[in-house]
Formats: sequence, C-alpha cells, structure tokens
Amino acid sequence: MSAGTATIAVPAVTERKQSGRWLTALLLAPSAIWFFVLLILPLAVVLIYSVGVRAPAGGYQAAFTFDNYLNLPARWTAFKNTLTLAPLGTLICLLAGYPLAYFLAVKSSARWRLILLILVIVPFWTSFLIRTYAWIFILGGRGIPAILDAMGIADVRFINTPFAVMCGIVYAYLPLMVFPIYVSLEKLDKRLLEASEDLGAGPFATFRQITLPLSAPGIITGCMLVFILLMGEYLIPQMLGGGKVFFIGNALVDLFLQSLNWPYGSAVAMGLVVIMLVTVTLYLRATAATGGRRDASLI
Amino acid sequence: MLRAYSILAYLFLYGPIMLIVLFSFNSGLSAADFQGFSVKWYAKVGGNSLMLAALQTSLIVAFTSAALATLMGTMAALALQRVKGPVRLIFDALTYIAIMVPGIVIGIATLIALVTTFEAANTVLATIWPGDAPLQLHMGYGSIIAAHTLFSMALVIVIVRARIAGMDRSLIEASMDLYADPWATFRQVTLPQLMPAIMAGFLLTFTFSFDDYVVANFVAGPLNTLPIYVFSSIRRGVTPEINAIGTAIMMFSLVMLFSAQLLLRRKSAPQRA
Amino acid sequence: MDRKDFIKQLRRYQKGSISRRHFLGVTGLGTATAVLAASMPHLLTRRAFAAGELGDQVNLTTWPDYHEPKNFEKFTAETGVKVNITVFGSNEEMFAKLKAGGTGWDVLVPTNYTIETYVGEDMFEPLETALLPNYDPKFYTDARFTAPGDVNGKTYAVHKDWGTTGFVVNSAKVTEKPTSWKEFWDLTNGAHKGRTMVHDYQLTTIGNALKYFGYSFNSNDEKELAEAEKLLIDSKPNLFAINSDYKPSLINGDAYMSVCWTGDGKQLQKTDPAFQYILGKEGGEIWADFYAVPKGAPHRAAGYALINFLLEPHVNRDEVLFHGYPVADKRVIDLLPKEIISDPILYPAAELLAPLEFGAAATLTNPARAEIMARFKSA
Repeated sequence: MSAGTATIAVPAVTERKQSGRWLTALLLAPSAIWFFVLLILPLAVVLIYSVGVRAPAGGYQAAFTFDNYLNLPARWTAFKNTLTLAPLGTLICLLAGYPLAYFLAVKSSARWRLILLILVIVPFWTSFLIRTYAWIFILGGRGIPAILDAMGIADVRFINTPFAVMCGIVYAYLPLMVFPIYVSLEKLDKRLLEASEDLGAGPFATFRQITLPLSAPGIITGCMLVFILLMGEYLIPQMLGGGKVFFIGNALVDLFLQSLNWPYGSAVAMGLVVIMLVTVTLYLRATAATGGRRDASLI
Repeated sequence: MLRAYSILAYLFLYGPIMLIVLFSFNSGLSAADFQGFSVKWYAKVGGNSLMLAALQTSLIVAFTSAALATLMGTMAALALQRVKGPVRLIFDALTYIAIMVPGIVIGIATLIALVTTFEAANTVLATIWPGDAPLQLHMGYGSIIAAHTLFSMALVIVIVRARIAGMDRSLIEASMDLYADPWATFRQVTLPQLMPAIMAGFLLTFTFSFDDYVVANFVAGPLNTLPIYVFSSIRRGVTPEINAIGTAIMMFSLVMLFSAQLLLRRKSAPQRA
Repeated sequence: MDRKDFIKQLRRYQKGSISRRHFLGVTGLGTATAVLAASMPHLLTRRAFAAGELGDQVNLTTWPDYHEPKNFEKFTAETGVKVNITVFGSNEEMFAKLKAGGTGWDVLVPTNYTIETYVGEDMFEPLETALLPNYDPKFYTDARFTAPGDVNGKTYAVHKDWGTTGFVVNSAKVTEKPTSWKEFWDLTNGAHKGRTMVHDYQLTTIGNALKYFGYSFNSNDEKELAEAEKLLIDSKPNLFAINSDYKPSLINGDAYMSVCWTGDGKQLQKTDPAFQYILGKEGGEIWADFYAVPKGAPHRAAGYALINFLLEPHVNRDEVLFHGYPVADKRVIDLLPKEIISDPILYPAAELLAPLEFGAAATLTNPARAEIMARFKSA
C-alpha cells in the first residue's frame, strides 16, 4: 500500500511535516514560556546569589566569589542524613505501594476501581499539616507509647526520631508512588497473565517475567519522583523530628530564614540540584543498560 | 492475600484520618485529650470567615493551576514525542529540574525573582500609565498559581510521557491509515488511551497545589491559603477546630467523589443495557 | 496637601475619575475621620467608619497566643476591618520574610534587639505618632522598655509589653527544684534525659548556654561562644526537641522542661498549676516587644487604627489578662487587679531582674552565632 501511494503521498508528507512543525511548536510554546519565567529566571537568581556574599545585616550583597561553594562541606552532616534516609524511604514506599497499585490495577473490579483509586488520595485532601499533627499524637506520649506502657513496655520513644520521620515520609509519599505504578499496570493486558498461567508458569514467574518488566516505567517514575522530592523535604523532619533530624531542606530553611546567609544557602541549593541531576542521570543510564525497553525510558 | 494487604494499606492511610475525625468532636479544648462529644467546633468553623477565605483561595489556586498544568503538560508531552535532539534534551532537563528543585528553594527564588521584576515593572507602569491609578503588579493569586503550575506541569509531563511510552503504537498507526484526519485519530484513539494518565495528573496536581505549604508560604504575598492558615493556627495551639476543618474538607471531597461516580454510572448505564 | 491640590482632587472625585476611596485616602480625610472615631468610639457610629474607608482587612504579624481574640472582634465591630494574623516563632524568620519582600504586612511586632537592624535596612517607616493618640510616652514606667523603639531620634516602634526568658518546669515530673541555668542544663543531660526543649533561634539558645558558664548573654567572644557551642552539641542527643512551639509538648507530657517566655509560663500555669516558671539565677534575657509599621504597608491607615486601638488602656488591660505579659504603661498597670501586679511571674523580684540582659542588636546580624546555631542543629 505504501509503495503504491508513495509518489502521490510525498508532497502530502512534506506538507504534513511543515504543519507538523508548527503544531509541535504551538504545543510546546506554553510550557516553554512557563519554564523560562518561573524556573530559569528564579534559578538564575539563585545562581547569581550563590556567588555573592552575605550582607552585614543578612541577605545578599553583590560580589563574585566561589567561597560559598568551597564551604559546602560544612553542611556534610545534612547531606549525609538526606542521602541515607531518602533512598531508604523510597524503597519502603516502593515495597508498600507496589502491591496496592497492583491490586488496584489488576485485581479490583472495574466498578470500584475509580473509587478505590480516589480513596487513596482523599486523605491527602485533609491537609498535610493536620495529618502530620495526627502522627505527632500517634507517636507521642499519649499515643502508641501510652498503649505500650499499659502493656508493660515502658519508656518507648518514637517521636522526634528518624523512625518517626520515616513513618511520616512513607505516609506522605505513598500516593506519589502508587499512581505512576498504577498507570503503567493499568494498561497491562490481563490476557497476557491468563496466557502465562495457561502455559504453566507459577504466579511468581508470571510476575517476574511479565508484570514487573511491563510496570518498569511506572516503577522508575514513582521511585524517581519520591526520591527527588525526599531530597528536598524539610517539613516532615522538622515536625516529626523535633528539630533534631536535619535534612538538607532544613539546612536551607535555616540558611535562608535564620542565619540570613542567602548566598551560602543558594550555593547549598545549587549543590543539592547538582547531586540530584547526577544521581538521576546515573540511575536512568543504569536502568536503560539493564535492558529496559527503549521506549520505556523517559529520556 | 493481596486483598488483605490492600485493606491493611487503606487502614494505614486512614488511621490518622479517623483520629482527626474523632477529635473534631472533642468537647474539650485540647486536640490530645478526648473529653466528650460535641459538634461545637464545626459551628465555629462555619463562622470563621478568615478560614473560609483561605479555603476559597486554596480552591481557586488548586483548580486553576491543575487545569493549566494538565493542559500545558499534556500538550508538551505529546509534542515531545515528535521532537529529537537538543530541544528534547533541554525540555527533559527542565522538566526534571522543575520537579527536583526543593520547594523551599524555588519558593524563595521565585519570590525574589518576582519581587524584583514587579518592582521594575511597577516603576515603568507608573510612568506610562494614563490616568491616576496605574496598574500595579503584586504578589497574590497570579504568583501562587504561576508557581504551582510550574511544578504541576512538570509532573503531568512525566506522567503522561510514561503512559505514551508504553502505549500500543500499532493502534495509532492503524487509525492513521484508516482515517485521513489526524485530529480524529487523536480524539478517538490516542486521547482515550491517555485519559487515565491525564486524569491521574490532574488529580495529583490538584492535591499538590491544595495541600502545598512551602511554596505558597513564600509567594502568596498577603493572601492566605488553607495550609498557611492551618500552619499559623497550629502554632497558636491545636484546638479541635483544626480537626473540624480537616474533617469537613475530607467529607466534602468524599461527597463530590460519590456524586461524580453516580453521575458517571448514570451516563454509562444505557450503554451497558 | 495644599488648597489647590485639594480642590484638584475634589474635582477629580466629582468627575468620577478617581474613586471615593482614593479621594479620601489621598486627601487624608479618611485617616483623620478614622482616627477621630477610634479615640472617641462613643461619639461616632459604625457608619462613620465606612466613610473612613479603612478597607476591609489589616495584616498583623505577631507571636503565638499574644492577643485577646475578643479584642479583635471588638475592633472589627467598630471599624469593619478584619484582622488577619500571621504568627512566627522567631524574630530571625520574621526579619527574613520581610526582607525578601512582597509580604503585604501592615503591623509588625518586633522584639527590641531587631529594631535597629530593621531601621538600618530601611524596612520600617518612622511612626506618625499623630495617628496614635493613645500613645503617650510620659506614662511609661521604665525607659529601658521604650528606648529601643527610638532610633536616631525618631520613633519607629511603640511599646507593647515586656518580659523575660527563663525556663518552665513541670514540677509534677521534675521533683528537683532547679533555680539556675546550670541546673537546667545538668538536669537536661542527667536525670531528665530526653525531656527538655530549647528554642530554635540563636538568641536564647546560645545565650542561655553561655549563662551556664556565667558569661554574658550577648557575648560575641569567640572563646566563650566555642564553650557554649560545645555544651549545646553535647546536650543535643539529650534534648526532646529544638522548637519554639513548646507548649503543646509540655501540655501533653512529652517534655518536662523548656526555655520559655513569661506569658507562656503564665498561660501554662493557668492550664496546670504544676508548671513553674523560673528565672535562672545567673541571668538571662529581658526583652520588650513593640508595634511597628513596615514600609509599603498596603493597609496603612487600618494598621495605625489597629495599633491605636490596642494601646487604649482598657483594651490593653484585657490583652494583658489574656497573654500574661507585663506592660510598662502606667495607665494599664493602674487598671490591673492586684494578683497580677504582685504575680512573681509577670513582675519578678528585683534581684532576679537585675542580672537579666536585653538582647543586643549585634547578635541578630552576627554570622558566627548563626553558624553555631546551624552546626548545633545539624549535629
């Protein structure tokens, strides 16, 4: 068919290509503008600030020096905390969220699916701050420790520990992990699963060879979103860590709102972004190399 | 067993929620000591005009930014499939950076960038504006919606592209061969396949914007969004009024959800028969 | 505004080129009416305020539990202006937000040690005391509580209240009777590990650590600061939390001790008499809070009206009864019941007050102190 219509189709193809280009440009224009004004411009500000110096009364003073960058190791503890707790939190979210996403995409009946899906997210219409305060109650002196105390296990401290922060993290980031995995599992053709079963593969083999690879894009998306956002988190460590668990996000809040050292804060921010970029690129290269389908990767 | 796990997961998600609901009916003052049953806090919430104003602001901002983000993000995700080379690389990088940059950083940076721009723009406007009350740019609805839309749009791009990546191309190709009109192909083949991702994107970004405290705290100017109001209320001591607010919002969302589901069912009922 | 300008604005208003609000605002008639009505509430009805066009909202930035809510309701009833409150935990944060800009705040409640810096950074406007008829400097009992508001001969801030920073102890759980900062820190690291809170900003945390050694609260000496830092970092694992919102944790029993401000100590004691407010023998902080108007306040007239309202002696007395912080205005003191005036928390004995120091402006801007705080928090 294509050979027969080739000579007739050529001008149409180039025409389509031209209007195609226009269309592409039109589709990309709004987001391009948004990216420029609300991402590039503010980041340029951060970059300029990062080579400045702290004004005597706090804030930014124009200058050109790399001292702030050379001084980054002073915040090493914060970087270390974040780089250990963020991957851990992501892993727990994945292990907790995948089964739920699987249940919703594959096992739930179509009638209930939308409701169940939205029920995952409805708690998050209750205000993050109020929910976190509920956790402060649950993990604080009147909550679980009180129950444990009644059972004879006294003096257990949950609140203001890394454990409490981890609880808060998993609780807050679960839907962010569940949704992308759900989206990629949802288009899984159930007949593939049936076929696999008919061919004699056990459920685990089916999962490993069919479901897992097909849901890989969703897993990658979910993990990346959660991990990246975790790196910048500061409210959960502050509220559930009682000011004792110090993420890079907390260091940034301190530098901008307490120490008023905006240039140094900007340098720390830039350092954070660079670390994230490097991590994400390595991660994507690694997953592409392990044989994920070309179109499955996002870059 | 999967079902049991899922029930557990939902219990985990709703445990703190049930606590919040329970204490919203606390007749005592503290949000930690249950003293008796009372609905007085709900009455207080209904009359709390500052809270209601904050709620309204949050709803407007969330809906607008989610709508804008979903629209622009989907458009960009589709367009990016047709683009190669440096343009694609740049867009990919920008998308990830938009998501990566911590809220605190983008919040402060956007604030400083906008304040500086507004100051300059306002001086210009004041000189060239005819009449006595020149248009002056301020931090407010525009700045919050704009800031939220940025992150949301990037999120939508990522989600929709993940969906496109796993889409069955043969269907689209077949449709293109059968229909002369690419728009029809888009509408009847591509779009329905993308719908779950688009809806997921809209929901997620609406939630993100409605619940955001960090960015809004910096760029809202004089406006109060609900999280900002809640945070400053919490600082003044948690009373069950806060719990009542949280419960009320959640109940309202549930009602909306169920009525939407009812509507959808009624729409599809004739097809089923 | 001279006569010709006035006529010009009047003509514009009559033509309809400018709004009534603009006319009243730009000629000052609006403010004049409002102030008149504010100082003689019985003479003018509510409609007079609508004519005054104060707007419908005023943005107040202040501290937690610092105002009687009923007073705001009264203010709204009299002027039609709703009071929108933003609350902070530390002056450093307040300063940072205002410095970044675009806040839309009309009235601020800064502490004494920050005012000089605000003025130096051109963030405050000199107060138009003519708009504050309830402000009368001759009624203040102690110049130390009002002087920080005057910089270079101009008044930038008017006195709201004063107080001390000591520590609060839940005597039901802490049976030792600590009376000094040394004991406070020793108990933190000893018998009551994991039950103490300190504030999350540099002034009181570093200051009270310095007090453990008997050094000056405001010390900027490198050696002394290094010793204070060591104490802080060593104590950190034994702290319950580093948080300026300490009341909830104290009330629900997670924490037994905390660095605390006068009024919070009073409020806690009202909730539960087991709470004791203690001023460390070695010294500590004495401070005063002020009302100020930032430059570029969008509801400037309403802001002045609010400050004036809150300074009126009867209103101020109700404020004191609510927040529990002492005031230096003699007219208010005369209206307070005897239990308040003789309350040792609000009006401590002279020998406890003597060693206390006012926070110094230099501590706000000293980068060394900021770095110590950052290292402490990240330890």
